[in-house]
This record gives sequence, structure tokens and C-alpha cells, in this order.
Amino acid sequence: MTINTSMTSAIQKASAIQKWSRRVFMAAAGSLAISAAAGLPAFAQDAEWQKLIDAGKKEGSLVLYTALVGQPSTKQIAEAFTKQYGISVEVLEARASEIRERVRVEQAAGRFAADVMFTSEGQTMLYDKEDKSVDPLPVTPNSQKIGDKFKLKVPMASVMTIPYGIMINTGLVKPADEPKSWKDIADPKWQGKILSDDPRAIGAGYLWFFSTYDKIGEDYVKKVANQKLVFTRDQRESQRRTARGEYSIYMPVIMTDFSDLKGLPVKFIIPEEGVPYVLYGNVMLKKAPHPNAAKLYLDFMQGPVVQKIYASLGYGPVLPGMTEGLPADVKAISEAKLYGTTDTTRQNEMLAKSKDIFK
Amino acid sequence: MTIIHNRPLDDIAETAPTIAGNAFTRAFSGGSLWRLIGMLVLILILGFLTIYPLAMLLYGSLHSTPPGMAGEFNLNGYRSIMTTQNLIVLANTIGISLAKTIPSLTIAVFLAWIVARTDTPFRGTLEVLITLPFFIPPILTAMAWGMLANPQVGVINMVWRWATGATDPLVNIYSYGGVIWHMCQYSIPFLFLFMVDAFRAMDPSLEESSRMCGASRWTTFRKITLLLMLPVLTSSFMLSFIKGIETFESALFFGLPAGIKVITTDIYESINHRATPDYQYATSLSFAIMGLMFLLVIWQWWMLRGKSFQTVTGKGFRPSVMELGPWRWVTFAFCVLFFFITVVLPIGQLMLGSFFRFFGFYTYDMLTLEHYRAVFANSEFWRAVRNTMVLGLLGATATMALGAIVAYISVRTRWRGRNLVDSMAWLPWMMPGMVLGVGFLWAFAMLPGPIPIYGTIWALLLAYIALGTPVSVRVMTGAYHQLSYDLEECSRVHGASWFQTMWRIMVALAWPAFAVGWVLTFFGIMRELSASILLYSVGSETLAVVLMKLWANGNAEQVSVIGLMMMLLVIVFRWVQLSFIKSRISKL
Repeated sequence: MTINTSMTSAIQKASAIQKWSRRVFMAAAGSLAISAAAGLPAFAQDAEWQKLIDAGKKEGSLVLYTALVGQPSTKQIAEAFTKQYGISVEVLEARASEIRERVRVEQAAGRFAADVMFTSEGQTMLYDKEDKSVDPLPVTPNSQKIGDKFKLKVPMASVMTIPYGIMINTGLVKPADEPKSWKDIADPKWQGKILSDDPRAIGAGYLWFFSTYDKIGEDYVKKVANQKLVFTRDQRESQRRTARGEYSIYMPVIMTDFSDLKGLPVKFIIPEEGVPYVLYGNVMLKKAPHPNAAKLYLDFMQGPVVQKIYASLGYGPVLPGMTEGLPADVKAISEAKLYGTTDTTRQNEMLAKSKDIFK
Repeated sequence: MTIIHNRPLDDIAETAPTIAGNAFTRAFSGGSLWRLIGMLVLILILGFLTIYPLAMLLYGSLHSTPPGMAGEFNLNGYRSIMTTQNLIVLANTIGISLAKTIPSLTIAVFLAWIVARTDTPFRGTLEVLITLPFFIPPILTAMAWGMLANPQVGVINMVWRWATGATDPLVNIYSYGGVIWHMCQYSIPFLFLFMVDAFRAMDPSLEESSRMCGASRWTTFRKITLLLMLPVLTSSFMLSFIKGIETFESALFFGLPAGIKVITTDIYESINHRATPDYQYATSLSFAIMGLMFLLVIWQWWMLRGKSFQTVTGKGFRPSVMELGPWRWVTFAFCVLFFFITVVLPIGQLMLGSFFRFFGFYTYDMLTLEHYRAVFANSEFWRAVRNTMVLGLLGATATMALGAIVAYISVRTRWRGRNLVDSMAWLPWMMPGMVLGVGFLWAFAMLPGPIPIYGTIWALLLAYIALGTPVSVRVMTGAYHQLSYDLEECSRVHGASWFQTMWRIMVALAWPAFAVGWVLTFFGIMRELSASILLYSVGSETLAVVLMKLWANGNAEQVSVIGLMMMLLVIVFRWVQLSFIKSRISKL
């Protein structure tokens, strides 16, 4: 009996919160200016938000699925969240395609195990359009403060960008010869000396292909294809191979890895044009068992605590003003100009193009 | 008397030719109903473990969308795999697999013979040492070989250039040769382990008679030793060849940079690197391959039909070794060379690297114990160790028990349905791991709600049992083929009950094979990732999942530390097992 009652009340609360989210969303979309002028709704919002916090705390835990595998920051953030709200976070990690299939099958079988998924913008589109496994986003206090560029059409609450650049072996490349831009990679002097993530399959190499093809053009990409690139699909091992002197250049490299490789004869270069990037964020999964805790988590990830954690690791924060006081090298990477990213709707076409160019 | 009386006539006819009333049949012949029920239960268990996940995959191959999504049945998957390019890739894959299976089998046979049948010095130690690479995660040996044999700065090539003044590299691991070599690194120890006890259990009197009749050593080896080993050899060949078709890490690591494509990299790409995962394509391709592989199994049945390979009989079983004289130092040298190339070189790299901040940068100031500290302080690692140990102990024991039952029925009875259970037990071996993992995910997740398997540690356990069954059945089949029926007879005649007979004869004599199978299965479970990553739940991480996470985050050195600890565990296991076997054999 007790269980039943508490469940019913939880469900009632959940639906009340959903109504609240919708209401706030309407307010935000429709009459933000007026309500701001009136001053009252801000107070009302605070009260509503407090209710959500209480409901979330009552749920007590949260199940997070993440496609960002092996990052120590995941645990660090989870601990910070637990400290703030007293809600424990259980994390399940797997690679993008694996975790997506898990969510899809779980939902198809009526097992709604996870609350939040941390994944990329491109994957979110698939979750939303193909699998229909995500709920619309709630509007939370922090969701309105992030940069406009990161407010998306797809239901993903943006958290940070992963920047990609060029890595060189300083023993093999003289300072004067260092490539400074993506265009420099096409210089014939690098023929046979570039190790590259495979652009013919979804991943970092393809991200580079997509953005430079769009922004510089097909001729450029074809020139790079003539460089006799050697392909790989293991990003971290490839950095090591380059450091050991197998190749002069590895590209595109995850810029945030620079701190892990300190002490090795390598240099991470932010290309003049900017860094191709992958935007990561959270989605609310359908019929989340802990919907209120999930909303708190989404908000928390866009708040200053988490944004500063990511900025300090070199990722691009979505909340402005988070890079102040960082060491110069981290700051440069975290603030690097964002160059371009992939577009899921054009993936088949672009993959075919890449396979054609890089035979 | 009653027992004989109750035996149905057709049953006598069925069992008459080779088996004429062995203990098991007679014990059960009184209650053929019980036998029927037993068989049905076995078929149900195997059906759930193997047919059910495969059926989900078959659905996936025939349906435009994976289970649980609206779509339609069509043959688009099968149509899309019929391309000339796929045919070339298939031919390439078969070529690579043959190119690794044949030398691996030859070397493994030679090593097994040296260790089990000759008086080569230190063969006991060598037996443990030469198998070590098998137990290390492939990604680690791949990394080690990448460092040893890359054409630019590989250690082997540097030494070669320094010694000869040449400018061209001696070896290039990023090539066909490299892919095959890396595969051999796993198949030789595997095949060796798989065969060595069969060599040990062989009655030398057969070889001696051959020699007495004037046959040369070579003829004896060919006509007696190898022929008697036919069930084990054909099983080994098939296990290794099929695994070669499905191997993935070597091709991805060393083949991709050289533009080498195999079937599994194609499947991997269709699931992981397309805009949307194409499960219909992946499953269709896997079933096509499976069909081809099954032809091999039929070929083996045909080869072994109606032949007897019993070498362990009631008559003075006396395992003795051949005295090689001075030649024993040649065989010893061969083993040491093998050990040096396949164990010392790659594992030495891993060991050395684990004490430095970065692999390959061996300077004094980089010396550190931080990787060991990090691993020992990692609570997730210890949780995974606990989970994996529980899963490994339970899983390996259950798998071997199931394998022993299936093998017994298939080899030592003439029961109806024995071929069915035998072939059901083969099935998981013929499906590439990454596809079968998806099959388990679909199968367990789609079970009706009240059956609590998905999301629990049971899902992992069941998947591991299914994945290990093919090897366990093959190991036990090989052992049972060698045991003569008169042993069972003798035990029964002397008044032992059926269970006593089973325990004393079928279990005690097949024990060494059981133990080897157990170790193979245990470490198979320890390494399994494809199914684990799709089935583990929060809190039930396995070691392979933790290794994958560490690797993905660039902590190669920590992965090595764990790999080395796994290897230590192998040494302990094998040492215990071998000393146990020795004490057993001396008692016999």
C-alpha cells in the first residue's frame, strides 16, 4: 500500500513538473520581456524550481548513460552534482553506436532504465528523429544563460565542444616548418608523413573532411588526399605513434589531450582557420524513471561548476566567461575559434564523397 | 537382467554396432522416458543460449529495422551483400585465415608433441610460458608489435639498420604479414593448449608397434600419431580457421593502414561507422558467412564418421615420452626461440613500458610507479575484478559442465538428437562476436518483463556460457573420442554404479582436458568485450569494460599493468593445474 501511494504521488509530482516545464517554456518563448519587466514571475519561477529540486532530491538517484568513454571528468562532475543535491549518479559508459542501440532496445522492450544520455549533437538527431527515444527539453534557469549558438533545434542541452586540431612531432618538424593552418597540410613536403584518422568512417577524420570540404573546398581535400595519408582509427594510440617518431603529423587530434602528453616531443597546433568541433550535451530519455533529478542534472551541466571543469580541461564551454584565470595554453584551446562541425542530415552524401576521394 | 529386458528393440539396433551396451546407455535404457526428458531439457537450454539470440539476428537480417521498430520483412540485407567487392573481401579473408591457420596448426602440433611426447628439457616450464600471449588482451600485443616492427622507428628495424647499415626496414607490421603474424600470436598458444592433452593421453604402444614393424619415425608420426589425433586436429583446424575469419583487432590495427579489408572490418564499419548503424547488412553478411562455415562442420562429421580413435584403453595406459638423445637440445632451442619471439619481445615491451610514464620513452626521468598506483587505487577496477572473478568461476564451470554433457552425448551415445545438440553447440562460434553481442542484447532485452535477465549479471553469465560452449564441447569431444568403451564396461562389471563410473572414468580420465577447457573459457570470459559492453549494467562492469574505458582515454600503460596482472593469474592457474595433472597421472 505504502509503495503504491508513494508511487502515485511521485507520478503526480512528475506530471506537475512536466506542466511546469511547459509553462516556463511558454513564458520564455512568448512573453519573456514582459514578465521580466513585471518582476513577479522570476519569484514564481524560483518557487517552482525549488519544488523541482525537492522532487529531485526525493528521487534520490539518477542513471546517466554516456557516449564519452573513459573520461575522468564524468566521475568528477557526478560527485559535484551529488554534493550539491544529494542525488547519487550511476554512470553507464559505452561507445556511441552501442549505447544508442541499448537505449533503443530497452525502450522498445518497455525497460526505461536511463534518465539522461550524454552524447553528441549528431547522435541526438538520430535519437530524436529515428528512434524517437528522447523527451523535449525542459527550460531550466541555466538553459537560458548559454550562448545563443548552442541553443539547438534538436532536444539537446548543450554542454561543451570537443576541439580538433593538428599535432606534430617536434623532433621531426622544425619550428620554421610547422603547419599553421589546415591549408598547410596540403603542402607536398608532408607527403607520406601524415598519420590521419580515417575520414571514410564517422569519427574525427570525417569531421575534419566535412568541415574543410565545406569551408575550403573540394580541391583542397583532393590535394590532401594526394599526400598519401596513412589511416588509423585509434586516436590515442595514434598520438603515441606520432610522438615515437613514426610520423611527423597526426591529424585531426583531440586538442584537450595535450595535457596527457606533456613531456613527449609533440606540439598541439590550433589551426588559423579554427577548430572543427563536436558539440556534446545531454538529452532527456523518454519515460525517465527519475525525471526531476534528470532536469536538475541537465541544469547543473550548464551551470558554472561543470562549465569551469570542462573549460579547465580545454573543452569549449557553452556558458560565457568560464575561461578566466586559466593557464594560457588551456585558455587558448578552450577559447579556440570554432570552425565547423558535421551535419547528420548530409551524412550519407558526405561519407560517399569521402570514400570516393580517399580510396 | 531387468535392464536388458526393458530395452526397446530399436534402441538395441541403434546402439549395437560400436557401442554395444556401454554403461551410460544401459543405465538409462531402463527409463527411456527420463532420457527423452533429459535430452529435451538439454535442447531447451542450448536453444535458449544459441538459437534464440541467433533467431533475433535472423529477424534482424530479414527485417528492414531491428527488433522493436516498425518496418517490413524484405531481403534487402541479403541483396546488398551480393557485391563483387564483398566477394573479393571474402576471398581475402579466407586467404588470410588459411595463411594463419596452417602455420599455426603446424607449429602448435610440433610444440604439443615436444612438450607432451619427448624428453625435451624444461618442458614443464615451457608448457606454461609459451602460452602466455594468448591471455593478454589483443590490443596490448598489437601495440607492442606496433612499437617493435613499425617500418620507421620500430625497435627490430632500428637494430637491423644499425647492424647492417641498410636503409630499408627489415619488417613492416602494417602489412598482410603483420596481420597474419598478430593472429598467429593468439592461435598458436590456443591450438597448443587445445591439443597438448590429447597428445599426452595417447598410448605410446601404438607408436612403438609401428616402429617395431619397421616404420620410420616420420612415417610413424604421420600414419599413427597424426591419424589418431584426427578428431582433435580437425576440430583445431576448424576452430582456428573460423576464428580467423572472424578476427577483428589484427585487421583493424595493422590492416587498415595498409588498405587490407576483411569481412569483420566491413561488419564493424556497417554498425559503428555509418550514418546510421545498418544492422540488416551486418546480420545478413554474418549469416552468409555462417552458412559457409557450417559446410566445414559437415565436412568434419563426414571425415570422422564410423572411425574409432580410442587410445586410452583399459590395457596398461602408460604415458611415456620419446627419448630424443642430443636432438632434445634442438627441440629445446626451438621452444626457446618461440618463447623469445612471441613472449619475451612483446611482453617485455609491456613490462618495461609499465614502469615508465610513456611507452617507448625509456629515460631515467620518466621512470615511475604511477600506473601501478593508479590501477590499485581505482575502485572501479577492483569492482570489475570481483565481478569478473565471479562470472569467470561460475561461467567457466557451467560452460565446461554443459560442454562435457553435450560432448558425451554426441561422442559416446547413439541417442537420437545427438547431432542436433552437437551442431547447436557449434553455432555461437560461427557468428562474429560483435554481431552475436547484438543478438544477446536483442534476445535478453526482448524477453517478457517478468523474466529478470536483462540488466542483471545473469545476462552476462548466460552470454558467456553461450560464447564458451563451442570450445568446451570441442575440448571434451577430443578427450572422449580417446577413451575406450571397455573402461566404462570394466567399471560396471566390477560393480560400480553408473554415477561412480561417470565420476571415476568419464570425469577422472577426461579431467586434464576439462581443466584446460576451463582455463580457456575462464580467460575467454575475462577478455570478452563485444557482448559485455552491450549487456553490463551499472555496478556490473567487467574487466574488459574497464580496460576498454582506460584504453579509450589513452591510458595504455595502465591497461598494460592490468594485462600483466592477468598474465600472472594465468601462470598461477596453469601451474596449479599442471601439478595436479602430474600427481594424477603418476597415481594412475
